[in-house]
Amino acid sequence: MKKIVFTLIALSFSAPSYAASIKAEVNGMVCAFCAKGIEKKLNALPQSQNVFVDLKNHIVVLELKENENVPLEDFKAIIKDAGYDVSAAEVVDKTAAEIKAEIAK
Amino acid sequence: MFKKLVVLNTLALSMLALSATARAAALMGFADSIMIMGEAGHDYQEVMMNYSPVVGHAFGIEHMRMEDKDGMQMSISAINYTGLLQRWNMKGGQANLWFMGGVGHAYGDGDEGFAYTPSVQFDYETTRLYFLGKLRMMRGPDMNFDSASVQGGFSFYETGFDETQPWFVVEARTMRNMEPGFQVTPALRLINKDYFLELGVSNPFDGEYRTPRINFMFVF
Repeated sequence: MKKIVFTLIALSFSAPSYAASIKAEVNGMVCAFCAKGIEKKLNALPQSQNVFVDLKNHIVVLELKENENVPLEDFKAIIKDAGYDVSAAEVVDKTAAEIKAEIAK
Repeated sequence: MFKKLVVLNTLALSMLALSATARAAALMGFADSIMIMGEAGHDYQEVMMNYSPVVGHAFGIEHMRMEDKDGMQMSISAINYTGLLQRWNMKGGQANLWFMGGVGHAYGDGDEGFAYTPSVQFDYETTRLYFLGKLRMMRGPDMNFDSASVQGGFSFYETGFDETQPWFVVEARTMRNMEPGFQVTPALRLINKDYFLELGVSNPFDGEYRTPRINFMFVF
């Protein structure tokens, strides 16, 4: 029993911190000046930790603060209000920086 | 009311020092944003400011000054509406059909009175290519500066969202009662997420009419 408790405690200290992001493909996003609204609106969310926009690959990433959540429908509505359409969106266990690094490869 | 508009517009024009054009692909910002845009050339200057409460609709004020082929100087100060009639969001591209119209007051060397400036614009843009066509009426008492213009261009390379992207753009424009009535303007366009700046030379191969032109847009 002691061994199990010790193992659980050790795991809790060694496990990487949980990071969640919404990663979306956004249609129509071709110009930084025009897409500024996306970044501004997402950054204004209280749940927002970081925002990453990639024009070339039409990717928008909203990294969430720990234990925070934004429903995908709300996320899509923000993109829609900025004048664009979300063609696909998913929640991934990665930071915006990690996704940026993946795309850069 | 119109005098107040004139003062407001003149103030905005002074603050901008030069101005910006209404010829970029985006004629308004995002929801709950303010956009300032304008254009400054030798015989035509325009500045416009609008507020967009929701995406697709914007309301604002505009001021323009023209000098016609006879040297008559005329100005229009107006309130305007910009509407996004249709937007096509595609993977890797965007096309828009816009309506923009202003009603206001014309004054200057000619007769004063009611002025109106309706226009339609179509644009298509990718991260590397750009096309725009625009038809605009600009009328007042004994005044007609109707214009038609097309623009095409390309970016030298793709950039990240936080970088400045350079473009080469050429515009051909006809405008009634201007000299010359047909103008070609090659320009270097710089697009950043915070600003849109275009530096061009109208009629570069005609020494008599060669003039610099600046366009600027700012959204906040």
